[in-house]
Amino acid sequence: MTVPIPKPGTPGFDQLVNRASRHNGRVKTGIPELDEMLRGGFMEGDAVLLAGSAGSGKTTLALQYLINGIKQGEPGVYVTFEELPDQIYRDAKNFGWDLRKMEEENKFRIICTSPNLLLESEGENLLDESLKDVRPRRIVIDSLSHLAMYVDKHDLRKEAYRLTMHLKTKGLSSLLIWESPQITGAAFTDYEGVISGSPRRVASEKFMDLFRRA
Amino acid sequence: MSNPTEVLQELLASEIRGDILVLFHRNPGLIDTLQGVARRIGKTEYSIEKDVQSLVKIGILKRKKIGTSEVIFLDRDRDHEVLESVANHLSTIRGSNEN
Repeated sequence: MTVPIPKPGTPGFDQLVNRASRHNGRVKTGIPELDEMLRGGFMEGDAVLLAGSAGSGKTTLALQYLINGIKQGEPGVYVTFEELPDQIYRDAKNFGWDLRKMEEENKFRIICTSPNLLLESEGENLLDESLKDVRPRRIVIDSLSHLAMYVDKHDLRKEAYRLTMHLKTKGLSSLLIWESPQITGAAFTDYEGVISGSPRRVASEKFMDLFRRA
Repeated sequence: MSNPTEVLQELLASEIRGDILVLFHRNPGLIDTLQGVARRIGKTEYSIEKDVQSLVKIGILKRKKIGTSEVIFLDRDRDHEVLESVANHLSTIRGSNEN
């Protein structure tokens, strides 16, 4: 089941805008088209689920979100369960982002670990050192789909909730990546139905398509 | 261990130690178990234990208990110190050889 993004003028859109106008804090993604669509950016402190199929640009978007945060004076942390940092440094260089330099300046950290270690540590001890060094305002978890491999389907919502609440209490605005198996149609699996209640699922397949067109 | 010659000897003592150093220098944000680190360099847990212990002794790597597991990660500050000290030592040796 996918959640359609409301269009301007529709009741859903107006509800979103009204709700947003009650809050001042917006976290700009730095991607003009997306910020415009989100009326200024993500809500500060929210956990946002970014879902898309392989190769749809989730990692690039997530990195861009962090880089733009750094440009606005908000350090960021990227937690990866799949790719080694070495690959991420290399890929980022193609976009002109020198992540190693940002790490040296304590503005950015890539943490590469196993999902089961993050679960065991209850999200706290494992990330602590980096959180102390960098004092991030933004964090990306790449990905919840990998985390899902280590927990029972029925525990995933609980674990995702625990993780997002931990990040929220640290004052972090988080972007959680979810790899969907397909691009259109019923893209969300049973797992996604389970976790959809925890983070704010703003960015869905439809958004990714829109972003690609922008 | 603070003598640069001793540190250098320890760092170059085995090929596995070199592989571990390369892994953590290329991926400074890596946090993994002994088994995980071994897998990432194509070795077994048992075969890298001694080398990891040596790097922990020098201070480049740190060990930390996470739940029921123990993880290994790079101590960025200490690593920087050690590399700087070794580099200074090597340039001193090079300088004295040239004279």
